[in-house]
Amino acid sequence: MMSKQHLAFLALALAALLAAPAFLKTYGLYLLTLWLVYVIAALGLNLTVGYAGLKSLCHAGFMGVGAYTVAIMMKAGFSFWLASPLAILLCFVLGLLIGFPALRVQLHYLGFATLGFNLLLVLFFRNEEWLTGGTFGIQNIKRPELFGFAFDGNAPFFYFVLLITVVAGVALALLLRSPWGRAFAALRDNPIRAESTGVNITAYTLMSFAIGAAYAGIAGALFAPLVNFIEPAPFGIANSLLFLMMVVVGGSGRFYGPVLGAAIALLLPEYLRFLKDWYLAVFGFAAVAMMIWLPGGLLSMRETWLLAKSKRDAKRQATPSGAEAA
Amino acid sequence: MKTTIARAVALSLAAVAGASFAQNIKIAQIVELSGPGTAAGTMYRNGANLAIKEINAAGGIMGRRIESVEMDTQTQPAIAKAMTVKAVDDKVTAIFGPVFSGSILVSQAESQKAGIPNFTGGEATTVTAQGNPFIFRSSLSQSSAIPKVAAYMANDLKVKSVAVVFGNNDFGKGGRDAIIKELGARNVKIAADISTDPGQVDMSSAVLRTKQANADAAFVYVNEEESARLLKEFRKQGYDKPLIGETTLLGAKVLELAGSAANGARGHVGLTADAPAFKDFLPKFEKEFKAKPDHNGIKGYFSAYVLKAAIEKAKSTDGKAVAAALRNSCFKAKDHPGILLDVCFDDKGDLDRESFLVEVKDGKQVVTQTLPMLGKR
Repeated sequence: MMSKQHLAFLALALAALLAAPAFLKTYGLYLLTLWLVYVIAALGLNLTVGYAGLKSLCHAGFMGVGAYTVAIMMKAGFSFWLASPLAILLCFVLGLLIGFPALRVQLHYLGFATLGFNLLLVLFFRNEEWLTGGTFGIQNIKRPELFGFAFDGNAPFFYFVLLITVVAGVALALLLRSPWGRAFAALRDNPIRAESTGVNITAYTLMSFAIGAAYAGIAGALFAPLVNFIEPAPFGIANSLLFLMMVVVGGSGRFYGPVLGAAIALLLPEYLRFLKDWYLAVFGFAAVAMMIWLPGGLLSMRETWLLAKSKRDAKRQATPSGAEAA
Repeated sequence: MKTTIARAVALSLAAVAGASFAQNIKIAQIVELSGPGTAAGTMYRNGANLAIKEINAAGGIMGRRIESVEMDTQTQPAIAKAMTVKAVDDKVTAIFGPVFSGSILVSQAESQKAGIPNFTGGEATTVTAQGNPFIFRSSLSQSSAIPKVAAYMANDLKVKSVAVVFGNNDFGKGGRDAIIKELGARNVKIAADISTDPGQVDMSSAVLRTKQANADAAFVYVNEEESARLLKEFRKQGYDKPLIGETTLLGAKVLELAGSAANGARGHVGLTADAPAFKDFLPKFEKEFKAKPDHNGIKGYFSAYVLKAAIEKAKSTDGKAVAAALRNSCFKAKDHPGILLDVCFDDKGDLDRESFLVEVKDGKQVVTQTLPMLGKR
């Protein structure tokens, strides 16, 4: 069960988020909503990369599939409530399909295979003009409506996205606590041993890809009405790498890793803007430095520190105190 | 999560603090400072900054200084839109940029909603086709420039067939559609229709296909950096037919990047620092930035001065009044030296002014002909 501290922290964070729209201007609220959308996507990628240990580099592509499906269907007159489940389902199926190469190739090779898939998706978005609008993209995507109430304003849409984020987060937490979650971790840590204990590797590999992709689909389905406009660029390889960075920087395989990682990936560039032309360089160097000294991500800071301390202690015990004095 | 909110709150507080210099006229420059549009965005920004510096040194606009903030769109429309939202939060008087058509197409919805005049360097025809009363161009649109270059190819060069090489983004695609239509109307055959990707590095196959098409000339319509790469590849493969372009192919940045490979390229430009009207502007810009201004530099410079002219005409910094002062009106360069050339805006935000036919000789643009304004008012 969750500790009291954990529950209190969650309640506090949720209360802060619920109160946020009262204190923020349009841009701040937009940024906060975008953060939630990124959190959903990164939660999914964390399942694939962090828990199941599969290097996926096409997450932005999946998000694009979600966003384009919703945008195209809404433009054709369908309701958001029909379009978004379909978008998520489509991502799930695509995730299953891309999961197949994952059964044969691993690590870097899997990275390349998924990278190629992302490239294909972007080419599709850009060149199938009759469907996707090509480089012009799709404009004026409406926000969803429910029983005559439109989530048109920025605050109502923020609350809507917050609700979806919480639901998606709780669902993922429950999944990870179930035997499935254990199976994913077993898959990551020692696939041969996992198989010998009866874990169906094929099924779980495919599932981790498909569920991760479905989360990207949710994020995409919310991204399109949030920005009101989509074009191929946000779903390119650069953003797939950004998603991977969110997971790794936050702490891959840790539940709150993507939450922190998405905040950093989104807000740090915002804060380094005063550096003008240098901000991307500084941002890049900060990421490199972190990977050297904190490879487990920011959430591993405590453990890394404890490990270093116990190493130091062990060393001190190994050397007799007399030798130090001499 | 808590830190996020703290940061977001701090961010908006900073925005509030910024707005307290009420005496100054605030403008936001939302330009491409990274990504594929960097060359265009920085030039535009530099031009605008030079003009702002001059205007402030000469006492500002109606005694008020211009205060400018710069924001980077990373050449992404979604970020451009978010930055425009931020500028609206900051209650700026005017927004300059983005330069790329794909970005301004999306971001102008926000400045329109807030009623803030938005100057752009975008040239795609669709930019002003959305009935937005607050959008203003700083250059000719494709729909007025492309017919001029088509007429030049058909009547002056007398070509019978043309290979079209375009960049597959909103800008390149818009120009491609327009030139094919205009050339068709003049009975010029399209021998090849070749697409290149934005940011593409290896142009060898595009050039090879152009050669194989064996047309009388090639029309090249891609963004700046891609133009330079194409010019180099055309020379490397020994292409000997005329290379015709419009604005981007002949830009100063392209000539700098392509070097001698640009020699012989010709076409139509809406703005060129080598025209006589720019003889004062050119050395000032070169002194300030140690680089030659291209058309985007002139666009930025022009944007700041035309804003000044409009505020002075409206005697107000109110967005609606400023926009109304620009619609359907002409400004003469002898009354407002900073705008460099006489200019007229129509009711959509499109502008009309003289333009030029140029040819590249020894790495320099040489003006071979000055074309008059389309509509004489």
